[in-house]
Amino acid sequence: MTSSMNNALEKVKNAIKNVKIIEIDEREAKIEVESENTLPVLSILKGEGYFHLSLLTAVDWMEKNEFELIYILYSWNDGGKFIVSTKIDREKAEFVTVMHMWPVARFYERELHEFFGIKFAGNNDMKPLFLENWDDIPPLRKDFDPLEYSKKKFPEREYQKDIIHEAKIIRGDING
Amino acid sequence: MSASERNIWEKIADQLRSRSMWMLHYCTGCGAIELPPSMTSRFDMERFGMGPMATPRQADLFLITGYLSTKTLRRVIKTYEQMPDPKYVIGFGSCTLNGGIYFDSYATINRLDYYIPVDLYIAGCMPRPEAVIEAFNTLMEMIRKGEANGWKRYKENYEWYKKNQLRSLGEVDIHDEFHE
Ligand code: SF4
Repeated sequence: MTSSMNNALEKVKNAIKNVKIIEIDEREAKIEVESENTLPVLSILKGEGYFHLSLLTAVDWMEKNEFELIYILYSWNDGGKFIVSTKIDREKAEFVTVMHMWPVARFYERELHEFFGIKFAGNNDMKPLFLENWDDIPPLRKDFDPLEYSKKKFPEREYQKDIIHEAKIIRGDING
Repeated sequence: MSASERNIWEKIADQLRSRSMWMLHYCTGCGAIELPPSMTSRFDMERFGMGPMATPRQADLFLITGYLSTKTLRRVIKTYEQMPDPKYVIGFGSCTLNGGIYFDSYATINRLDYYIPVDLYIAGCMPRPEAVIEAFNTLMEMIRKGEANGWKRYKENYEWYKKNQLRSLGEVDIHDEFHE
């Protein structure tokens, strides 16, 4: 890890107990924090030069009944990248907004609301971002079945089976 | 008059129509990348009297070049209905035929001819310029023979198309900041 990443991590470790740090790469590390400590960690990193929010996204861990929220912060000074991850309850999918730190988060949060059903306190703009007239559970939740939905809503082309042709393939008369 | 019967004026008109095709290419998907080589000097489709056109009201040919999400399909239907008759549709690539690799997606449709009439499909993922040129030639031949009459089918079976559109889209009207 670069020295500026180490410095940033020191600061995080001093300020907050209970962080788990996983080194991924020379310039990439993952920080796992409790949900109540997420915002402090993000703001420390932002102060240390990791102020570019490249991505805010979520992973659905359905068996554990959790959503993992993932913030990726990038530094334009040394190309370092921190992945800050936190777990929230899947049943009560709510978190706090980071719009006051990164205005662009508004759109990431709208997206997460649309595709995972996660609400963000403090962000009142929860209009759908991509989908129109969506009428099912959020489509990126793991309990959503896209094939089933597609069958229900979008009829498929029906092909006529040519049995003789298939029999010839099976018999080896022609190559299938 | 049934869809296949034409009077003499229509036959003459069809000869002329097939020799000046203005094409509106709705580049929905990756397949559209094969259009620039089809248009430029190597394959040069302008030698058939074809060219790209920017607006639906001046276009004869509607090219749908790939996967269609429900959101896009609404715009496609709207665009199709703005085009004046006679109008022709080419479905480009396997996504328009049967959903292609997006057959199980929650947001993309599986077959285009269920929603608007398609005169001709080009199979392939993605079709090469040779296939594209071949399809244009075939379409011109079909127009001359009076076989490319999807626009008539659309009028005759309007209720059927509308029913399918509503079933998959919920509503065909577009509500966004550009259409309100
Ligand atoms: S058929 Fe293939 S090339 Fe064409 S839009 Fe679909 S995936 Fe892309």
